[in-house]
Amino acid sequence: MEFKIKRKSVKTVTTGSLVDVYPHDLQMYKIPPTDNISLQEFESLALERLTLLRCLATATTLKGLRIFSEEWTDFVISDLKNQGLKYYAKLCEKSGCGTLQPDLEARRKDHIAHFILRLAYCRTEELRRWFISRELELFKMRFMTMKTDAIDSFFKINNLCYTNISDDEKNELIKYLRESTFYHNNQNIENFKFYKVKFYEVLDLVKSRKVYLRGGYAYIPHKDFISVLSAQFRMLLRQSLAVACHHLGEIEQDERLVSLLKGLHQSYSGNDFISDTKVTVPIESLDFLSAKSFPLCMKQLHEHLRSAHHLKHGGRLQYGLYLKGIGVTLEDSLRFWREEFTKIMELDKFEKQYAYNIRYNYGKEGSKKNYTPFNCLKIINTNVGPGECHGCPYRHCDSGILKNKLKGYGLDAQAVNDVVDMAKKGHYQIACSKYFDAVNKTDLGLGINHPNQFFEESQKLLKGDIKIEVKKEEKSNIVKTESNNIEDMDFDEITEWKE
Amino acid sequence: MVGQYDENVLPDMLPVYYTRLFPQNLFCRWLSCGNSPQPLSNRELSFTLADDVYLRYLSINNQKEFFTLLQKKCPHKLDIGAVYNTKPSVGRHDAVVLARELVFDIDLTDYDEVRTCCQEAKVCDKCWKFMVVACEIINAALKDDFGFQSILWVFSGRRGIHCWISDYEARTLDSPGRAAVADYLCLIMGGENQSKKVHLGSDNLHSSIRRALIVIDKYFDDIVQDQEFLSTSDRLKSFLKMIPDEALRKQVQENLERMPTSSIDRWKCFVNNYNQFCKENLHGMRKMKYLIEEIKIQYCYPRLDVNVTKGFNHLLKSPFSIHPKTGKVSVVFKPDNAKDIKLDEIPTIYTLLDDSSSDNVQHQTNMRTAVKNFQELVFSLEKAEAVRRKTEANTSLEF
Repeated sequence: MEFKIKRKSVKTVTTGSLVDVYPHDLQMYKIPPTDNISLQEFESLALERLTLLRCLATATTLKGLRIFSEEWTDFVISDLKNQGLKYYAKLCEKSGCGTLQPDLEARRKDHIAHFILRLAYCRTEELRRWFISRELELFKMRFMTMKTDAIDSFFKINNLCYTNISDDEKNELIKYLRESTFYHNNQNIENFKFYKVKFYEVLDLVKSRKVYLRGGYAYIPHKDFISVLSAQFRMLLRQSLAVACHHLGEIEQDERLVSLLKGLHQSYSGNDFISDTKVTVPIESLDFLSAKSFPLCMKQLHEHLRSAHHLKHGGRLQYGLYLKGIGVTLEDSLRFWREEFTKIMELDKFEKQYAYNIRYNYGKEGSKKNYTPFNCLKIINTNVGPGECHGCPYRHCDSGILKNKLKGYGLDAQAVNDVVDMAKKGHYQIACSKYFDAVNKTDLGLGINHPNQFFEESQKLLKGDIKIEVKKEEKSNIVKTESNNIEDMDFDEITEWKE
Repeated sequence: MVGQYDENVLPDMLPVYYTRLFPQNLFCRWLSCGNSPQPLSNRELSFTLADDVYLRYLSINNQKEFFTLLQKKCPHKLDIGAVYNTKPSVGRHDAVVLARELVFDIDLTDYDEVRTCCQEAKVCDKCWKFMVVACEIINAALKDDFGFQSILWVFSGRRGIHCWISDYEARTLDSPGRAAVADYLCLIMGGENQSKKVHLGSDNLHSSIRRALIVIDKYFDDIVQDQEFLSTSDRLKSFLKMIPDEALRKQVQENLERMPTSSIDRWKCFVNNYNQFCKENLHGMRKMKYLIEEIKIQYCYPRLDVNVTKGFNHLLKSPFSIHPKTGKVSVVFKPDNAKDIKLDEIPTIYTLLDDSSSDNVQHQTNMRTAVKNFQELVFSLEKAEAVRRKTEANTSLEF
């Protein structure tokens, strides 16, 4: 079969020898492949790449390893070997410019597989984001494990020319470079070569204050070039995915591909709790429901609203969308917020300043987008500022305050300690699940990924429905390790926000 | 001063203000950034009329149109949005933002958990010092670190300050870029349920934080005296919550409670206590290496409304707009002079247009200074734009 991505760009790989096409283990994937491959190879390459990307996600979420740490990389590489993906393990472990046949073959597979998955993951914003995050992790990991000479040739191949600053300039700035550059204490900064790039080329370093800035330029040592590269890589990938999405129609005329490509991404679509509103929940029952069926993050917002008759913007958004998700109608929602807010302000002010946002949440104003309730990872990674009380209580509460809250709700000492312990360790969602068990008097040990899931599970228990719903089996026979895909999908947002 | 005037006379005074005092010409030139006419006509303006009626997606082609529009609508408040690829009134939903000044909004209400002199909408010369510190810190960072030149500082009209950066690089910065700049400048993090909101780690302190601390130190004693952060038992309690180590906390508590209530003396005592404690516990100080700095920052460092900076199409009140509640003019000031601003010397529409007012002369002078400050910025911005376009033309010729 023929596999071609139509692009406006006229650059194509001339079918020379593989050595010319793939001079280096690490690629920027700027040019799509033009080879003919069999349908079978197409499918297996796609699945292997998927396994690779999932393996990265597993290392971070399920294993809880710190991303790009030594243990993390070790886990990824050994997992790849166990899954029979030796060629990926090799590409990740010691990237270089070898010219042996297996090296070249591995690079070819890497190249083609990357482009196949672009097709599968260009459909929606959420899929794109997941894909970009994983590919970026992969790229960074491979760059970091590379030897110096391999890095040099990578720069040469990709025409990345940067000259380091003069010794004079460096000596003049050394005090600031030492203060502001992020490096390990055992390294000697005097030996670093420094390069000057515009600050917007290394936004991740700027954001986390890990680089010295002066006059709009960032001074980075050699090792921080990964930031420049990954910013470029990310932008390139984002644009390419937009292009791919645009041309999806042409590709999907081939029915043999449609089922495969769709199958791939379908296995990642978790519940977004947007259309589950067959049941309507009257606002009069919110006080009652909040006792057992609201997760702590929402209960806290509810109580704050009831006592202070006001919530700041972040809180209104988080709580308002959640209420929509559990089945509060727009009319009820307006009435609910109005009743509280007008206790401290004129009705007129409420209608002018706040009612718009409530209708907006329901997709009745502005861009008329039907917004989805926030999931846990979005809530966990949100910024909470002074005077605000949204976010995830397990993350955004001092443990003393959390403890008192839980005690106040009548949880027994053991349960309180369990929850607080988990929160302290940074396992916010496990803490939430412990809280679920404590208030609902069970020991289901659910994985809570979404406040609305908390609500639904609790309602199920209260109404005496089936105790545990068997997780929906994947229809596809794709990869066996697919069972908690919701978690993986959410995880993608973590990296998006942290970077 | 404000109280003796009536909001109801605004509709009569505004047309006079817009004709006689509002710097229309400079305003249009500032907005068009020397690139007229393209960006000006595609710029969104928004008016707030009487009774909070909003008019969004307005635009003007030139100063004359602006004048007519002002006369016709007589807005109580004037806001500025982004530059779109089309006239904003035409294709408002598919319009794409092309450019927008990088903006910062600092509001004293975000200081409510630290300031003790006023709360919410109230503001006095004591809490204005927080704005002085914020302005000096942010201005230095924008200039020295990011290399921006055309930085405009504006009094927001009631209880805060706005900053507009018109440099080409700033205007065209994308949203991840804006978010990164905002995060770079943000040190205070955490909500109602977190007591300690600043964590500087134990590595070296970033140069920008050191520079900020130098600014804070200039005003710190004054602010501590004004605000009396440590004088009552409630305030002391929330101060103690910022000390992570239990042994040190107990020591400090015992020592401070025995002392007279003067906050400045109590603070000095705490610093001595801390230094002593460091000497005795050389190990285990890692997590408290910068405790003093962290507390100073939590008290005094600028608290930005980051959403305004991150958002591309957030509307922000225009310079020289009138604040409908206070009648005060959003005057442009120089960051070096922020410390000399007295709140009741800020001109109001009422005193400017009332010859018999005792403040009239002073407010007229201050209004003129503000317009002059604005003029200086617009001139240097136009110069910078001319240079940029010239270099751009040259480089494209070379190709």
